[in-house]
Amino acid sequence: MAEQTTPGIFTSTLRDERNAAILGAALGVTFTVCFVTGVLSHLIQDPPSWFQWPSRPAGLYRLTQGVHVATGLASIPLLLAKLWVVFPKLFAWPPFTSVAHLVERLAIFPLVAGGVFELFTGLADTHIWYPWPFNFRAAHYWVAWITIGALIVHLGAKWTATRAALFARDAPDASLGVAQRPSDTHRGTSAFDRRTFLATVFGAASAVTLFTVGQTVAPLRKIALLAPRRPDTGPQGFPVNRTAATAGVVQSARDPGYRLTVDGKVRRSLVFTRDELRALPQHEATLPISCVEGWSTTQRWRGVRVRDLLDRAGADSGAEVRVHSLQRRRAYRFSDLNRWHAHDPDTLLALEVNGEPLDLDHGYPLRLIGPNRPGVMQTKWVTRLAVQ
Amino acid sequence: MSAPTYGRAYWVALTIGAGVMAYGGIGLVGDTGVGPSGDVAVWLVGADVGHDFVIAPLACFIGAAVARVLPRSCRAPVQAALLTSGVLLLVVFPALRGFGRDQVPDNPSVQPLDYTTATLTALAVVWAGAAVWLTVRIVTAARGTRRPPTRATPGGHPTSPR
Repeated sequence: MAEQTTPGIFTSTLRDERNAAILGAALGVTFTVCFVTGVLSHLIQDPPSWFQWPSRPAGLYRLTQGVHVATGLASIPLLLAKLWVVFPKLFAWPPFTSVAHLVERLAIFPLVAGGVFELFTGLADTHIWYPWPFNFRAAHYWVAWITIGALIVHLGAKWTATRAALFARDAPDASLGVAQRPSDTHRGTSAFDRRTFLATVFGAASAVTLFTVGQTVAPLRKIALLAPRRPDTGPQGFPVNRTAATAGVVQSARDPGYRLTVDGKVRRSLVFTRDELRALPQHEATLPISCVEGWSTTQRWRGVRVRDLLDRAGADSGAEVRVHSLQRRRAYRFSDLNRWHAHDPDTLLALEVNGEPLDLDHGYPLRLIGPNRPGVMQTKWVTRLAVQ
Repeated sequence: MSAPTYGRAYWVALTIGAGVMAYGGIGLVGDTGVGPSGDVAVWLVGADVGHDFVIAPLACFIGAAVARVLPRSCRAPVQAALLTSGVLLLVVFPALRGFGRDQVPDNPSVQPLDYTTATLTALAVVWAGAAVWLTVRIVTAARGTRRPPTRATPGGHPTSPR
């Protein structure tokens, strides 16, 4: 059988099948978690007809998206370590030994390119930093499918070897690439044994988590030294994603002529001034605002129930609603409330947060806040409920 | 290493995986947010090439240089702390440079910290852990235990919270 050899420059005994298998298995888990939570978030924001995201439990999206971002960040050291372990294989000669092997190696390109791309773009997105010319969400989503497809191919190719390397504890360490040369064990430059190496890699992943997860896990916020957000920092004590100035609504939101309109498939269209809204029965709800970028924070909101407004306008009990913002441009100038969200008793058009009128950057005069929704779908500066 | 062998499971996985990849590829090209301009392709290839020919050789070079300079007893804690520091710097570098924040000057809730201080604090924790680890190693070695040095602190590791 043909054999491959790798350059003799790579002497570390840590570059073996067992470390590759352990890190590979860990990445298999983290990439799957990121993929599933990511596709879920995509479906929630852009639901096809067969998908209805429930309004309960209220904190579910906060959990899935928090896990998505935290898992992606923790995958950074895992992926780098895995690629370090298998790096000599890139230079293996001959490049392939059979057609099946060639196909396997070709599929590694989308796997590595996609994996690095997803982690980098995801990290940059948490900082709302977009140094590329394309739409982040579209690229991150579709490349995730490419990456997971390449991962399936890779798993198929490595399943047997990975299982063997994972479970045969006492098997001699087979160095990657070449059959072990007798001198290799003496030439090894590594000061690590396997346990120390893996502890370091998983420790680095833990350190990343420890220093960033406070952006969504409030008790750890004080040690979120490397996170782009603090859940307790911003106007009225929590962050803002898009300011009123960026959205171009400073004038219209402060305009005394501001009105909320309820129209569409209703028996009678309604128009309210802000004072008229304040005169309606108010309801209070303690709900998280869970940003797609991975931060979240729970606040006490007060305002008018959407379902009360729907009842007043005489909408159907199964009605769905499009919530329009004063914002004129951009994709998130409106969001949709499905049947469950529209009629949830905690889905509010909030006038106040924590006992104060909303800050302009938090959506003054009126914002949507409901349970179990991505932050981008908690539309700010609401001016119209269009019943569908 | 003998040439890899491929069973039926591989061909099944290849078929499924290729289908999934094709779905992603077609979606990518067809999506108006990305389009067929090729920008994403440049970034994808750049991600792979950037790792394989910049980050990986650099990491190998730094690791080898550290191994050459340091006495063997120091290597594991220092290399572990270096690796952890490198990863933390990667995670925080947009904030350190103000990338993102510079695009939303009116939103102080983005990257609200002094990230130089914050990063130095995080790195200080990592290196303090490495120093403790190293001290324990040296003390243990000085006591003349005959265990191999890397076993001196089982599970010991600069970043695991004690």
